[in-house]
Formats: sequence, C-alpha cells, structure tokens
Amino acid sequence: MEAFIQPGFWIFVLALAGIYGIFSLGLQIQYGVGGIMNFGHVGMMAVSGYTIAVLVIKYEWSFWWAALAGVILAAFLGALLGLTTLRLSGDYFAIASIAFAEIVRYWILNTDNVTGGTQGTLAIPSPNGFASYTDKPDVILTWISDRLYPIIGDEASRDLSMVLIVWPFFGLFIWLSSRLQKTSWARVLRATREDDDVPRSLGKNVFRFRLQTLIIGSVFGGLAGVFWSVQFALLAPEDFLRIVTFYGWMILILAGATRVKGLFVAAIFFGFLYGATRFLEFWPLSLLSSPERAYLRVFLIGLVIVLLMVKRPQGLFGKRQEMILE
Amino acid sequence: MSDFIQYFFNGLVVGCIFAIAAVGISLLYSVLRLVNFAAGDFLTLGAFITYFLSVTLELNFLLSVVVSMIAGMAISWFLELVLWRNLRRNKAGTLALFLVATGVALMLRPIIQFIFGTETRKFNIDILKTYDFLGARIPQTQLLVLIFASASILTIALFIAKARIGKDMRAYANNPGLASVSGINVDRVVLATWLISGALGSLAGVFQGLVQGQFNNAMGESLLLSFFAAVVLGTIGDAYGALAGGLLLGLIMELSQLSIFFGGVPSNYKPVVAFATLVLVLLFKPEGIFGYRARKV
Repeated sequence: MEAFIQPGFWIFVLALAGIYGIFSLGLQIQYGVGGIMNFGHVGMMAVSGYTIAVLVIKYEWSFWWAALAGVILAAFLGALLGLTTLRLSGDYFAIASIAFAEIVRYWILNTDNVTGGTQGTLAIPSPNGFASYTDKPDVILTWISDRLYPIIGDEASRDLSMVLIVWPFFGLFIWLSSRLQKTSWARVLRATREDDDVPRSLGKNVFRFRLQTLIIGSVFGGLAGVFWSVQFALLAPEDFLRIVTFYGWMILILAGATRVKGLFVAAIFFGFLYGATRFLEFWPLSLLSSPERAYLRVFLIGLVIVLLMVKRPQGLFGKRQEMILE
Repeated sequence: MSDFIQYFFNGLVVGCIFAIAAVGISLLYSVLRLVNFAAGDFLTLGAFITYFLSVTLELNFLLSVVVSMIAGMAISWFLELVLWRNLRRNKAGTLALFLVATGVALMLRPIIQFIFGTETRKFNIDILKTYDFLGARIPQTQLLVLIFASASILTIALFIAKARIGKDMRAYANNPGLASVSGINVDRVVLATWLISGALGSLAGVFQGLVQGQFNNAMGESLLLSFFAAVVLGTIGDAYGALAGGLLLGLIMELSQLSIFFGGVPSNYKPVVAFATLVLVLLFKPEGIFGYRARKV
C-alpha cells in the first residue's frame, strides 16, 4: 500500500496522464466532433517521436527545430492518410488507418540505418557516437528541479518537472480545443458527423472539413509524441504498437466522446491504471512478475473498454441522449 | 522457374490459411456488421490449446485439433451470450462494436499468455522432412496443411451454399428485415455464424502454427491485418470472396519476393505487402474484386 502514498508514484501517473491526454485530445477532435474513427493515431506519435530522435542524433539538429519538424511531419502524415483514404466509409477508413500506422511501424522496425531498428533510438548511428536526443529539454527539466529542490527536497524529480511542463500545455490544448469546438467550423463538422447530405446541400465541402479535422487531430498526436519522446528519452518500435491507439480510445470513451474537459479525469484514470500495474507492490499485485503485470494492464484496459461500451457508452460525463456512437 | 514454383507453393499454403481465417471474419461482418478485431487471437488460442492437448497431454493430434475447434466455438458462444447479444439489443453502433471487439482481443491475449506462458512452442510433428518437386523444397507439413486446408475450404463453401443454416445466413446478410419476417430465426443465424468463425479461427491457428514450425502468443495478432486485407480484397461480407481473397493475398505476398518484382521484396517486409495491398484495394477498388460500391463521400 505504501506506493499509493508515495508522491513519486502519483507524479509518474500525472506525467503519463498529461501525455496520453494530449494524445487522446487528437482522437476527441476527430471522433467527438468530426465522427472520424481513426485507429492509426499511434502512427502520428511514432512519426513525431522518431523524427526528433533521428534529426537530433543523426543530423545534429537542435531539439526544438526537430520537435517542430516532428509535429509538421505528423500533420503531413495525417493529410496523406486523409487524402488517400478519408473518402471511405467509417469501418473501411478505420481498417485503412490501422494498416497505415502498421506500415509506419514496420518501416521503423526495418530501417536500421536510420531508426535503429529493433534496438530503438539507442542504435541510431550518430556522428559523435552519443545517441541521446534530450539534452536541450533536459537542461530545462534540470533547471526546474534545481529550483524545486530547496523547497521540496528529494521529491524534485525529472518526472515532476515533466508534469509541470506537460500539464500547462495539456490545459492550454484543452482550452484551445474547446474554443475551437464552439466555432461555426465545428458546427459544420458536427453536421457532417450526423449526415453528409445536409451540409453538402448547403454548399459545404464535407471532405475538406473532414480532412482539416484529421490533420488537426494528427497535430495533437504529433505533440503527444514530442512529450512522449522527452519523458522516456528512448524510443523503440514496440512502444508504438496498435494497442497504444486503444489507450487513447479508452481515455476518450471514458471521458465521453463529446466531453473535452472529461479528458482530464479520464487521462488520470488511465495514468493510474498504467502506473499501478507497473509499480504497486501490495497483494495480490506483488504475486506477479513484471511481464505478468504488463498482461494484467492490457487485460484491464480491454475490460474497461468492454464494460464501458456495454454499460455506459456515453462515458463518465456524457449524456445518453447525445450519445454519438452510431 | 524453381523459385516461382517454390513461392507459388508457399503462396498457396499461406493463402489457404488466410482464406479460412478470412471467411470467418467476412461471415461475421455480413451477418452482424461486426469487424472482428479479436479474430487473430482466436487463432493463437486454437494453436495453444492444440499444443497443450497434443504435446503436454500427449493426446492424438487430430483429436486435439477437434477439441480446440470446439473450444473456439464454446468461447464464441459464451461471448455471444454475455456480450454481443446485449450490444445488438442496445443497437450499438459501428464504433461500439469496433471497440468491444478490440477490448475482447485485449482481454483474450493476456489470458492466453497467463495460462500458456510466453515461450515459443512447436507441435510434436516432424517439420524437417521435405520433398523435392521440380527444384522446389516442399516440406511435408506444408503439403499436409495444403491438403487439409483445401478440403476445409471446399467444406465451408459447400456448407454455405447447401446447408439450411448456410442459406439462412446468406439470406439474413442480404436483407435482415426480409429474412426475419420470412421466419428465419435471427438469434440462431447469429449463433451459427459465431460458432463457424470460432471453429475456423482455431483451425486456421493450428495450420498457421504448423506452417511456421514454431509460434508464440503474438502469432494471430500479427496476422490480423493480413486477414482484413484478404477480406477487403474479396469484398467485405462476401464469404466466397473472402476465400478467393485469402488465396490471392497469399500468392501476392509470396510471389512479391520473386526477383522480377523490383529485385524481390525482402521477406521481413511481407506483412507490409499485405498492408499495402489492403490500402491499395481500399483506394482503387474498395468494393473488392466481386463487389458493390463502398465509397461514401
């Protein structure tokens, strides 16, 4: 039980929640507003994270420019996905989007001389032989923990500095996105979600609206990739399996697809689930080895998804009447 | 030439397995409008149950396969009773079905890992014996898989065409409203569809395990998108199409390694060939090789 009251545990939970919350926000805009079922969202996070690692390590770019390039590339990838497959109807697009993300992952996995292949970013060939890409953000993280150390002592960790950076951004993005969802642009999108023909008869280019939504969502996927790559300081292809997209979906349906602010709570719940199955050391969890805990985590996430869809498809904060799971 | 025969043979074997797995997915889609994301894990489950019975308990191999197919049916039945039936009553939409199927997959996988462990397994069958055919190496296991799988495919095709419940399924898939007013018992059709897909999942899993020689608990999951590619290629919801699509995809994936195609696709990119086929079919002929238009916007 001790881990529950250890601040370190909760700080990790919050850091994770912030990152996955931003990731989920991309899905929220795509599905909650635009009705687009994107199951390949993890591809955007992978692309932005790996772009940063490769540009910094192999081509010695500054982290900030590399991060910008990562997010732009994620947006570009969203556009590519949309231009090619967004004209398909819902379930076809969902399948195509998964295939898209898997192609990205296979490419990363098999292009050893650029991405480090199975060994991850540590194996990216580097001119100075030092495969780390977080030097620049680490300066800031260390600066923050140095300031905090006199106040809170040993609790001033890298994770805490990360929380202090990620959460303001998470809040900002949620605010921006809820502003965006009050505009006339979003109203047209909501109309396209319910019925294509009405907005089209009003002269709206439905495809263009959907494409814009997909790109905006992908930008958030890319931004999540930036924070993810800093938090874990090391990327490997198995960090970007299909299941990560479903972590995002779990957060989204827990919050209720149309409830932007519900993402705060849902993301913390996810962070807790993830952190608890990783670190907590009390019975019966203490009986499990660490790979067994990883299964338990996957099992619980599956269970939460199934239970939510059967018992409360509108999520924690949604209203049943405006449930949009049609 | 011997390369061609080799890849063509491999393609047939892989294609038959794809066909068996794909027809289950396609039937489920035609009857329930459900894209079964858990299909891959049913393959893994079938292979592991067969392994447990035939290797650990030392039962007869064929008997083990039959029992594992029955287990696949039993689990599908259980899920239909506790899960899918309720979702249908609640008129769950596309996303709900998608996510529940994924949730089932996410739950099934750790259960398999927990019960059967994470080690790589192999069946107690001589995988080294090979025959020589016009310069191509034909392993005995693959030849047997090809024979049994082709027989299964014929059985499935005949069953859908001739059996009463097969006809009911096609009728219901074509027009659910009309089918139910003509006295077709919907719950029975749906249950039969689940049972068939459960049995075929296990069977395809055993075949795939035999062809790979050794397998671990990620086997089925990693093939899932290839099955979808086969389903889409053969027109989603069309059972015969799925059989043809599976065979075709198997041949495409294996023959793409021939050196006349850009010097041959490296074998670790084989899954990418399947994904790319999927995306290309969706782009240029989303209705599949047999089908109607599926484009929306």
